Formats: sequence, C-alpha cells, structure tokens
Amino acid sequence: MDLLLIAIVAPLVLALAMVLGLPKALARNLAYLGFALPAVIGIILWCQFDAAAKESTYAFLTTYDTGLTGLGINLTLGLNGISLPLFVMAGIVGLAAGLYALQSAAERLNHYVTLLLVMQGGLMGVFASVDVFFFYFFHELALIPTFIMVGIWGGRDRNYAAMKMTIYLTVGAMLSLIGLIAIYYTSGAQTFDMIALREAIAAEGLSTVAQRNIFGLLMFGFGILVSLWPLHTWAPLGYGAAPSSVAMLHAGVLKKFGLYGLIQVALPLLPEGAAHWALILATLGVVGNVLIIGVVAMAQRDLKQLVGYSSVMHMGYAFLGVACLSVVGVGGVVFMMVAHGFSAALLFLLATSIHHRTQTFDLDEMGGLVKSAPVLSAFFVAATLASIGLPGFANFWGELTIFVAAWQVFPTLTVIAIAGVVISAIYGLRAAAKVFFGPPTEAFAKVLQEQPATDLTWSERLPALLLLVALLAFGFWPKLMTDSINESVAEIYPAVETTVPADVARN
Amino acid sequence: MESTQLALFALLMPLLSATVIALFLRRAGALASYLSTATAAVVMVAALMLAYGGHRFDASADWLTLGDFTLTLGIKFDDLAALMLSIVAVIGFCVHLFSLGYMHDDGYRARFFGGLSIFMFSMIGIVLADNLFMMFIFWELVGFSSYLLINHYCLKQSAADASKKAFIVNRVGDFGFLIGILMCYAAYGTVNLNELPDIIAGGAMMSAAIPLLLFCGAVGKSAQMPLHVWLPDAMEGPTPVSALIHAATMVAAGIYMLCRIEVLMVADALNVIMWVGTVTALYAALCAVVQSDIKKVLAYSTLSQLGYMVAAFGLGSYQATVPVEIGHGDGTMQAGEIWIMVGGVGAAMFHLTTHAFFKALLFLGSGSVIHGCHQEQNIFKMGGLAKKMPITFATMTIGVLAIAGLPFLSGFYSKDAILHLAQQQNPTVFGLLIFTAVLTSFYMIRLWRITFFGAARSDGAEQAHESGFTMTLPLIALAVLSIVGGYTGAHGEGLIYGTAFTQVWEQIPHPEGIGVFIKSLVILAVGAGLAFALYKPGASDGLATKVPAAFMGLTLLKESFDKGYDYYVAKVQDRFAMVLNFLEQILLAGLIIRGLAGVVGLFGLGARALHTGSLHTYVYWFLLGVVLLWGFAGGLF
Repeated sequence: MDLLLIAIVAPLVLALAMVLGLPKALARNLAYLGFALPAVIGIILWCQFDAAAKESTYAFLTTYDTGLTGLGINLTLGLNGISLPLFVMAGIVGLAAGLYALQSAAERLNHYVTLLLVMQGGLMGVFASVDVFFFYFFHELALIPTFIMVGIWGGRDRNYAAMKMTIYLTVGAMLSLIGLIAIYYTSGAQTFDMIALREAIAAEGLSTVAQRNIFGLLMFGFGILVSLWPLHTWAPLGYGAAPSSVAMLHAGVLKKFGLYGLIQVALPLLPEGAAHWALILATLGVVGNVLIIGVVAMAQRDLKQLVGYSSVMHMGYAFLGVACLSVVGVGGVVFMMVAHGFSAALLFLLATSIHHRTQTFDLDEMGGLVKSAPVLSAFFVAATLASIGLPGFANFWGELTIFVAAWQVFPTLTVIAIAGVVISAIYGLRAAAKVFFGPPTEAFAKVLQEQPATDLTWSERLPALLLLVALLAFGFWPKLMTDSINESVAEIYPAVETTVPADVARN
Repeated sequence: MESTQLALFALLMPLLSATVIALFLRRAGALASYLSTATAAVVMVAALMLAYGGHRFDASADWLTLGDFTLTLGIKFDDLAALMLSIVAVIGFCVHLFSLGYMHDDGYRARFFGGLSIFMFSMIGIVLADNLFMMFIFWELVGFSSYLLINHYCLKQSAADASKKAFIVNRVGDFGFLIGILMCYAAYGTVNLNELPDIIAGGAMMSAAIPLLLFCGAVGKSAQMPLHVWLPDAMEGPTPVSALIHAATMVAAGIYMLCRIEVLMVADALNVIMWVGTVTALYAALCAVVQSDIKKVLAYSTLSQLGYMVAAFGLGSYQATVPVEIGHGDGTMQAGEIWIMVGGVGAAMFHLTTHAFFKALLFLGSGSVIHGCHQEQNIFKMGGLAKKMPITFATMTIGVLAIAGLPFLSGFYSKDAILHLAQQQNPTVFGLLIFTAVLTSFYMIRLWRITFFGAARSDGAEQAHESGFTMTLPLIALAVLSIVGGYTGAHGEGLIYGTAFTQVWEQIPHPEGIGVFIKSLVILAVGAGLAFALYKPGASDGLATKVPAAFMGLTLLKESFDKGYDYYVAKVQDRFAMVLNFLEQILLAGLIIRGLAGVVGLFGLGARALHTGSLHTYVYWFLLGVVLLWGFAGGLF
C-alpha cells in the first residue's frame, strides 16, 4: 500500500461519500478519519524517511499511469527533504482545521466539511507530487473549495472578498502555469516529471534569456499566490472574510504552494533567471512586505485583518530567504514555511474563538478577557510570541537562518528586515494587550453582561494544542527538520563556496 | 555527577518546574509555589557545587545545520560564568523564599511561580552560553519572562502597558544586538566565545561597529540611556520580581554580556560605552531624588548603579600587550606585539556582585514594607516603621549604608574600585561619578528617613506589622552578604568567595592608602547631611517646599524622555502607520485591483466570466479543462 496515495485519496473519497448521502452522524465520524489519516501518515513517513531508499533526493517514489503518459504526465508521488516537512505540516494543520470545523456551529456543516476534505486532499497532493502537472492540479483542486467556502460561509464582505481572491489567485495560477508549460517546452524533455526535468536541464541547460523570462513569470505568478507586495491585497481582505478553518488551511498551508514552487521548481531549474531577479524579489519582499505591510499592520483595528496582514508581512522574510539562492537561505525558508503554517493557523483559530466570546473583531471594543478566559489568553499570547519570532518557537529558527543567509548577500535589506522584528512585536503585543489585558471597555462589559465569556472549551483546545505543540517541538529541536532539509537542499542546490572571510585572513 | 550534567541539571530543572506548573498546577497555587521554590533550592545547591567545586569546562552540541551554517548550543563555564551563576542562583533562591510569604494571598500564584521558574531557566542559559547566538536566544527568553512577570497584575491598564513597553524597548535594543551578532559572524566566521579570542589574537581586523552594535543589546537589557524608559515602569510587577529581575540579575545581564565579548572591544567603542554609562548614572540619580514611590526610587537607583557598571567596563582596567605571530604574504611568520584594550571587567563584575546583594536586599525590604503597610507604596504615607518592623528596618539600613558606600560594607569596595579607575583614566568622568555618588547617598538617606521615622502618616502605616519568617529570612541572608560581599581577597582567599573567582577578582584595581576612606566618608557625609537638612519625615517633599525650582527642574528632566517617546509613538509612528494604511486601502484596493481586473477581463474569457460574480463558473472551467486534457491525451481530438 502506498501511504502517500492514501493520504491524498482518503479525504477525497470521504468527501465523495458524504456527497453521495451518507447518514449525517456516520459521515461526521468518518470525517474525523479523513482529517486524521493524512496527519498520521505524515508522521509515519517522517519516521521512515531517514532509512528510506532515495532517488534524486526523493523517497517513497511511486508512479501511476493516469492516461496522460503521452503528454509526459504521470502521477508520481514521493517526498524529499523540502516537501516532507511541508507534507507533515499540511497533515497536522489539516487535522487541526478539521477538528475545529467539526465542532463549529456552521450552517450546513456537512457541506462545509465535505469541501474542507476536498481541500485537504488537494493540499496533501501538492506536497506529495513529484510531477509538476499534478503539483499544479492539486493546487487548483484545493483552491476551488476555498473560493466556494469563502463565498458561502464567509463573514463580512464575503462576496467581494471571494471575487477578489478568485481573480487574483486565478491570475497568479495562470501566470505560473504559463511558466511551467514554458519549462516543459524549452527544456526539450517533454515531461513534467521533476527528476527528469532536473536531469534534462542539468545536461542541456536553458538559455539565459529563456531562464530570465520564465523565472519572471514564475516569480510574479507564484508571488501573487504568496501575497508578494504589491499584489497582496487579496490576502487581508480574503482572510478577513474567510471562515476560520479555511483561513487556517489557506494562510497556513495552501499559500505555501507558491514558495514551494519557487524553491522546488523555479530556483533549481532556472538558476540564472533566479540570479537576475533576486534583488528585485528581495527588495519587494523586504521593503514591501516586511516594512510597508508591517507598518500598515500597526494601524489595523480589526483582529482578523491584523492577523491577515501579519501573515502577509512574514512572507517578506520568505522572499528574502529565497532571493539568497543559498542552502542556508532556502533551508531557512522551508523552516519558516512550516513554522508559519502552524502559527498562522493557530492565530486564525484563536481569533475566531475570541470572536465567539466578544462578538466582535474590533480591537477597541474588547479588553480584560484574560479574567474569564485565561487559557485562551495563554494560547493567544503564545501564538503571538511565536509569530513575532521568540526563541523556543519554530518561527525563530526560520527568521534567524534567513537573516544569516541574507547578511552575506543583501546587508542593507537584512537590516530593514530585522527592523521588522521590532514592528511585529509592536502590533502583536498591542493586539494581545487590547484583547486580554487591562479593564474591559464599556462595549465589551455590556457584551459580558449579556453573555458571560467562557474559557476555551476542550473541542477548541485540542486543535490549538496540536498546533502549539508542533511550534514548540520544532522550536526546541530544530534538528527534527533541518537534518532532512539540509540533505536535500544541499544536493539540489549547487554547493555554495565556503570562503574564509577576508577580514580574518588579513592581519 | 559530571560537570556538564550538573550544569545541564541546573539549567533544565527550572524549565521542568515551569512545564509541570503550566500543565498540571495551574489551579494549585500552593503546590506550584513549593515546587518552584524547591527547584530554586536545588539549582542553588548545584550552582554552588559547580562554582566552588572546581568545575571549569567547555561543552557544546550542534543544534542546527544548514549548508555551511551550524548553530551550536554550548556551555562555557569559567570563573566569570561561575560567579554570575552563583549570584543568580543565590538571589534567585532568596527571592523565591521571600515570594512564598509575599505572594501567599495572590489568586494567580501558580502563574507567578511558573514565571519565576521560566526566568531562572532563561537567565541561567545566558550565563552558561558559549556563543552569541545562544546568548541571544536566552536573551530574548528573559525578555519574555520579564514581560510575563511585569504583567502579573494584567487587569491593571498600567501593568499591561508597562509589560508591553518593556518587551518592545528591549526588542529595539535587540535589533542592534542581532545585527552585531550577524556582523561578527560575517567578519570572523564564528560567534563562539572560545574561538573569538584566538581569531582576534591572530590579528583579525577590528572595528568599532561590532562591539557597539552588540552593546545596543546591553543598552536595552540593562536600561541605559536612551532605552532606560522601560525599567521604572517595570515596577508595576510584583516586588519580588523587581528585586530578582529588575535589580539583581536580568538587568545586569547587559554588563555580563559586555564582559563576555571583551575581546571584541576597541578604544573607540569603550569610550562610547564609558560615556553612556556615566550619563545614565548621573541622569538616573537626579531622577531618583524626586520620586515618591518607594519602588521608583529604587528603580532609578538601579539605573544609576547599572550606569556605574557600564562606565566601569568602558573605563577599562588596563591596557595590555599580547605577543602574536604576524603572517606575511609569502608565508613567513614574524613575532610581534599588538595592543589589546581590556575593559574594566573586574570592577564592573565586582560592582555587579555587590549591587546584586544590596539592591535585592533593598527591593525585598521595600516589599516587606509595602506588604506590612497593606500595599502602600508612597513613602510620604509611611513613617514610623522603624519600631514596628525592626528586622526590615535593620536590614534595610544595612542595604542603604552599603549602597551609599560606608567603609567596610560591600558597596564601599566595589564603588571605590570604579572611582579609582575613573580617577586614573578620565577626570571628567571621575567628577561626574563622584557627584553621582553624593546624590546616591542623598536620595537613599532621604528614602530611609522618610520611610522609617516620624509618625505614621496613613492607616496602612499605622497598622504596619513585621513580615513572617519566609520574608525576613532572605532579608537577613542578603544583609549578611551585603556586609561581607566586598572582601574578594584578590591577593589571597576571599571571605565568602574562596579562590573560586580569582580570574575575575584579580582584575579589580585596588586603590591604596587612607585617602580612600576619607573620600568615601566625605561623599557619604555630604549626601547624608544634605538629606538630613532638606527632608524631615512628613507628608510633603522637603525639596519641593524649600527649593521648588530644583524640584520642578528635576521632575521635568525625568519626564522629558517619557514625553518625547509618547510624542513619537502617538504623533509620528501611529500617524505614519495610518497614512500608509490609508494609501494601502485607497490606492491598492481601489485603483490597482480594478485596473488589474480590467486587464484580466480583456485577456481571459474565464476571468471575465468570474467577474460576473458566479463562483461556480470557475468550477465548470476547471472540469472542462480536465476533460479536454484527458481527452487530448487519450487521442480523442
């Protein structure tokens, strides 16, 4: 049995079963299974990865003929050190989002859960695909339910938000599709298989012009999907409107598709193109995402928008890391993607839990929630500290390694990026203080009178705990992840020359 | 047990205690307090065994490897670390014990003691760290513990604001610290404290930028100007926290860090450090004069004394020449000498040590006073406590005399070492530090006289009572240390130090002769005499009534920084954020996206169909694409 295939297919099959009219109670119990299986499989594969046989960095390789072989397309599944941590992260965040959705009081819960299962199946597929076509296909498969769920179950401005998200993300996906097809043709390999593409390009090499043009397409295409400034405006709006589990899965996992594409496909195949665009990418990421969006985040009054903006801001660090074009930088980005997946999902989850108690997302109408909900406040403060890069949480390692890598290449931009660490502390702690500390505002005192706030229930606590434990585990033992990342990245990326710093050699 | 295991035990026990409290003892305050205190006790035993048992070692383990970048976590346990560890462990235990009584009736005791444990873990991490990345990690973690504990009374707006301010201001300092670490790594290829001296001795290029950026971290953590504003506000935390974190240990971490990176120092950097310290010492002493909150007086006094330590480090105890081999381009080596500036590690660490004793004593004493007076913190509403709280009074008196520099008490020796250094190096700094010393005895005698003498001036003070033994015991222990802490025995056996910290103590400059006593006595007498002349135990501030202009001026001086920062945050930073947000919403959301949608509409049918508003259209396009693709591959077309 191919566990990878099960992880992808199980949620999809269950979704299909629910559409076909399973009894409601049974369907929900099976849904738990659909969310749990990918997470469990992810962890099992993680444990087996070190010992597994590898071909061109990929382990657990299997190929299925889907009838597209004539076009050079096969469903090839496998994991390498870059995709493995993301695969596991997708499984865990998916489980948390599923658990949170199943306990929520959403209308037409069965439909909601069905769509979420489809999304989950697509997500697992994205990171398990070695074939670029299916990598893209699974992304679309996860994206469609996203739009529908935002449009139907969303909050304020859901129609406008859903439309804007759809337009932006479709354009982004189209641009990257054009880029991927261009690689398919210009490489002369006539295949979408990553391993074959890498070998073909290593042997032949693409012309510099082709590399530059294709990388440009991919950079902006994938960039839109990851909310590269100034093409980010769909994100805060979309996340502000999205129902919590969808925001968790999209901001946490699906958004990483773009970065993953850059790291796994664009950079190794188009090194010259990447070098050409690196400075632009780093500048947009640091000045745009980190600095400008960071400052914009400070002005937010709506908690969910704030979390959305903070998610956009942190992508700037990832762009900086990608632009370093080095093992350290890319490794840092993978770490950051995984960490951000957990922390962003946790923040969206908790923001919704706060809303249940305050009946508002307006930060100026809360306060003093710690008194009635101490566990919720502990979780939220922990999630905030994780996202602002406090050591002990996974995000810290991602940021630190990116800074180390970036200092060699873009020292000035790195200084600005580090200033972002102060900015995120300002808006993060402000939000925590406004929601939880100090005396309650008048408006919130009234809400409390009508409906006293309870602390985090166990059904909310469980998914939150899952994410928090993951953040702490990687925060304390980064080796859990870096060992496998390092091996793959070092093989895929040409070894960076280790030069003795000039100052040391001199007297 | 082996040295490494013992050190790991001391490091990890508090983490274990904090974890157990967070997971299982949230509602069991009493149990949590016993667990945390017991942990502090075993940590103290382990630390003293390490320090006095002759364990000196280095150990490290790779923690993260990506490409050519490897981050290690390790322990560098030399005399300096041993000294700092002993201070942290001993004061830590005293404060835990004191807190058993002080926090007995607090509803959130478990959170408080959990916070103390997590602080002990983080602080010991800084002390043991063998490289700058590791130090930075624990540096941030003590910042977090400080945030947690300042915010203990988190339903008070002022506590919430103070904790936020402390964390953010520290992050501003850490901004420079981290850049400094990255520059150091880029320049020398390592940030390991054991490897750096070899590379420097090998004749690597030195720059003032690296030590000064690293110093930014100390400016934040040790609350030097201009980042000193968070420390007075941090007094919103419970008093034991102020004693442990915001007086004795964490705020001194900046000085410890400077001593750790001494090899990186160059003359220009030391000069800047000296002036920052001197100005902070003077400024804070001036501010302390006009405070009426007992904890605020002590907070400004802490700032001032930290300034002393920073200045001491900057003054440098001696300049040494070190023989090196200088390589030539053709591969031959030639013997030569280079000048190395040596910071005033001895004097700075000496004052750090004695200050930890007497300032922890003063803060815990003030805690005892506050507890006895039913949470009254205004010294003008106290009075007459000398008789009602005899142990607190006696121990606090020792603390006051120690900080004021009465001969034969600990503060006398350490302050004199610094003044002696200043006298040799820089007459202006010497003058300013002498003046600061006069101010110190002035404001401390003021505090002492108004608090303990005269008639009780509030109900709280009227009903004051001596605190229980868990609170008086640490006071007595710290009072003893404040007396004997000055005998370092640099030329032989130290009274309480033995020969454990010789490497540090031998760097203390020793003034000779009777002049030292006279100088100190004059300083003490002038300060105390002025205080006696100006202040009578009463409900009003003597300076405000007798010399109102001076009082107003000093108050203005104290407020100027807070006002300046408030103005910056409200009028510059927040407005800038609002303007950018406005642009973001209008320009991007309004114009560009509409424009883009238009472009897409022109080019793509699919997007235009979406633009009509139906999401389901997208699903159909997707399915159509899938059918077409498979059809094409299957040879249908």
